[in-house]
Order: sequence, then structure tokens, then C-alpha cells
Amino acid sequence: MNTVNSEPTLDIKILGPGCANCELLNKLVKKAIESSSIHAHITKLTDPSKLLDYDMISTPGLVINNKAVTSGRIPSLTEITKFLQEATS
Amino acid sequence: MIDSALKLIGSGLENLATYLAAHILLCLLPAFLIAGAMSALIPKKAITKFLGRDRPKYISYPASALAGFLLAICSCTVIPLFAGIYKKGAGLGPAITFLFVAPAINILALSYTGQVLGSDFAIARLTLSIVFGISIGMIMATIFKQQDLLRDQNSDTLFKGEASMSWPVITFFILLISLLIVGTTPVSILKQTYFQLELPFTSAYLFQDFLNQLIPFDPAKGEEGITVQGACLIGILVLIGLAAWKGIQPIFEGINKWTWVAVSLLGATLLFASLGIMPHSEGVTLLINGKFIGVTCITFALGWMLKKKFTEDQTRDFLWESWRFVKQIFPLLIIGVFTVGAVRTLINPQWIQSLAGENTISGNLVGVIFGVFMYFPTLVEVPIAQMFLDLGMHRGPLLAYLISDPELSLQSILITASIIGKKKAWVYVGLIAFFSIISGLLYGAWINGMSLGILISCLIAILCVLSLLLTRFKA
Repeated sequence: MNTVNSEPTLDIKILGPGCANCELLNKLVKKAIESSSIHAHITKLTDPSKLLDYDMISTPGLVINNKAVTSGRIPSLTEITKFLQEATS
Repeated sequence: MIDSALKLIGSGLENLATYLAAHILLCLLPAFLIAGAMSALIPKKAITKFLGRDRPKYISYPASALAGFLLAICSCTVIPLFAGIYKKGAGLGPAITFLFVAPAINILALSYTGQVLGSDFAIARLTLSIVFGISIGMIMATIFKQQDLLRDQNSDTLFKGEASMSWPVITFFILLISLLIVGTTPVSILKQTYFQLELPFTSAYLFQDFLNQLIPFDPAKGEEGITVQGACLIGILVLIGLAAWKGIQPIFEGINKWTWVAVSLLGATLLFASLGIMPHSEGVTLLINGKFIGVTCITFALGWMLKKKFTEDQTRDFLWESWRFVKQIFPLLIIGVFTVGAVRTLINPQWIQSLAGENTISGNLVGVIFGVFMYFPTLVEVPIAQMFLDLGMHRGPLLAYLISDPELSLQSILITASIIGKKKAWVYVGLIAFFSIISGLLYGAWINGMSLGILISCLIAILCVLSLLLTRFKA
């Protein structure tokens, strides 16, 4: 986490009990962060009751800066990059 | 020693060959595609909107059963949705109905059961799971009524919202389901050969000879051996796997040309599996039957829709979900089928016949206990059930086993307990065991020749006695 940089650090949460789709989402988000050189901190939440806190009933869930972005599906790499850019701007 | 080991391996391979034969692939491949389409293309809100807490019972219970069938193909969707319905939606009863129905009647297990054990078995599994799923949900809701009122009464936005399915998606589902039906239903219009083609490939006959020596079989015992067609199909399946690894595994980074190679190979497999192929000493006879014509039309229509009518997101999600199910389930199924084939030679049929050869309470209890203590991956329960059937188990106890096995494993009991508490979880387990035995007894009685009318009256009588007992319990 580079706090010296003027860009804000994104807080990203990936929700899901460790199934294949949650792992894939995690991988895609990491890739999107690398390619768009954004600073972000990823947390994985595996407790199913945490899902309900964000009003989600299906995994995998993607939360950026405490805002639920998608749930129950995997967004594509370009879509994730767009979410990240929207959150930083 | 080496001899008996070889015999085990031979028996395992033979079982595997039988399960990868053309008619099984024509059931399993469409079933995987339907499962993938359900998981990727049905908007969850279209069903969960009926599961809010202000919905009347006659909507929320059937909707829970429907959600269990349509939305919960993978166990990672079951737990969050269960917790959601219980804590923020329609409550304990519908949540339990959902939890019961979800593993019992997913599309994969259901079509596989129908193909391997007979369609009456699949229908019994479907209807009894729905009836008892709703009954168990209502019983749980009655027993734990007081506690249910204390649930979190906060926002109810989770189960609101509108969603519906678009016409291309609905058409796609209809096509997929017709593919499954055309590929697996043995009716004369589909079985009849309309014309024949002669190909001068004498090598096919030699290949068949070689296969027969490799895996000896005995048609009198119902063993199918492995055909040239089966061997080619196994080869194409491996190619599909390789193409999918390059084209569907990295699909979220974009659809590439390997994606379409994998899709085309899949289509080719369906066509090839539906063709009748008879190798003989002068060449190969191709039988163009009704099944082949039907499967060809449907496969091309599906491919066209995938390429032209779907958005890129829909195509990608559908292919990914189908591939994920194959990746997750197919390897375990192959290992399971091989092991079942090998183990079968070690079991003495008399043990099975004396334990569960008759449709008695104890026989059904044996089926349920086996289901509770053994945990098998999805679909593997079907070849295991067939093994028991071949060894002389009565179909009643077999159904009791098939209903309880996917419901009750130690792992699922523990997860359920962590959400609704230990006491409720054990009552739930007891109810499942009870209803599985009843299911087995009723279906077994039907197999033994009892009329459907008497059975339905018995079922209604049992449910009435239970509800009377429950009102006593409440007061």
C-alpha cells in the first residue's frame, strides 16, 4: 500500500466461501489492478453471513469501497477495470 | 494375487466403458449444458422476488422448491441463499424447503438417474423430494414458530426487485431440453433408421476386435463392452478437454479461437454420439436415425444462437459455467464409476439381498443409514445405486438411499447447524431420515404392485396425522 502516492487506495472485498468462482474473481481483480496500476487492498471474506451485510444472496460478491458492485456472477476483465476506474475518479 | 488385482481393474474399466457409451453421453452432455445455462442465464431475482417475508405461504413454499431446482446447482450458491431466506426473507420454513430440494433434484442428478435407473425412478425422486421438502419446511416452521418471530426484522430489500428472462434465453432453454429429450427418449420415431451409408473402412472392424479383446464383455449379463464409437467418443472428449483448457479456462480475458474450437468439437460429439455405427468385415455402416436428425438440427440451432443471438457476456457466462461444472464433477464421476466397478466384484450379493432385498422398514432404514454415513460426490450416487440394484437391492430401499444420500452428510449437517443452531439442525436431520424411509416404503409398495390411488391416500393420511400431532405439540 503506497500512501505516498497521491492516488487514493481502493478497499476491495471479495465475498465467497472459497469456491472456484471466488478464486477466479480474485485472480481477475488482481490482474485488473496490475494492468491499470491502481493502488488497492484486497480482502477475502469467506463467512457466508458477511454476504448478508451487503445484501447479497449469491457468490461471488465484489465490494469496492464498501459499495456492492456485483454478486452472483463473474464480471469480465474489462468490466472490472471499468469499476476500478470509476471508483478512483 | 496379481490375477485378482487385474480382475478388479478389468471390472473397473468395463464399468467406465459402459458409462462413457454414446447413450450416457447424450444424457450427460446436454445435462451439463442445461446446468450451465441455469447457473449463468437465469436472473436470480426472477425467482428470489417470491421469497420475501411478506409473501403468503402458498407462494413462498413452492417458490423455494423452484429456487432449489433452478438456482442451486452448485453447493456454493446453496448456503448463502439459504442463510438469506432464513434471516432476511420468507423465514425458516421456506429456507428449509429450499435446502432440502436443492441437492435432491438438481438437473444433472435427475437426468442421470432417469437414464441409468429408469424414468419412473427419476419421477419418484422428483415428486417425493418436492412434497417432502415442503412438508419438512412447514413442520420445522411450526415447531420453531416462536424463535422464528425473533429474527432480524430489518430491511427487506434483498428479496425485492424485478427481473425476467429474455426470449433468446427462453428459446435456448427449450432447445437444450429438447436436445436432452431427443437424445435419450427411446421412442420408435427417433430409433428408426431412415437411410444407411456404407463406408469402406475395414480398419474399424479390426479395431472393434481389438477392443473386444481388451475389455471382454458378456451381453447376457447386460455388459456392453466398448464399441468403436465409444472409443472415438472418449478420444473426442479428451480433445474437447484440451481445447476448453485453452479456450474456456481463460474466457474472462476474452473469447478466443480455441473457445470456438471447443464449442465445435462439443457439437461434433453430440452428432457422432447420436449416429448408429456398425462395423463389419467389409466396412462400416452408418445408420441415419431419427435421433441423429433431431440432434443435428438442435445442435446447429444452439450453435447459431450462441454465436448470433447472445450477447458476449451471455455466451461467456454460459460456456464458463458449463465448463466449471464439467471440471468440478466429471473427474470425480470417472473415478467413482471406476471404483464402483472394481468394488462390485468384492461384494457378495447375498449380503445386500438379506439387508435390503425386501421393501421393509428395516430395509429402508439400511438404505438411509448407508446414505447418511457415506458421502459421495454429486452424480456418483447414481452408479452406486445401480450397483446395489444389480446386486439385488429392492427399488424401495434404493430410493430411500438416493433421497437421503445427497441430503445428509456430516459436512452439510455442520454448516446447517452453524446457521440455524444445533437443535433445529438435528430435528431437520431426523425429519429427513423419517421422510426418506417413508419415500422408500411408498415407492417400493408401488413397485410391488400396489395401486397409485391407495399410495396417495396413504401419503395424505401420513401428512394429516403429522399435522394433527403438530397442532397438539404447539398447544
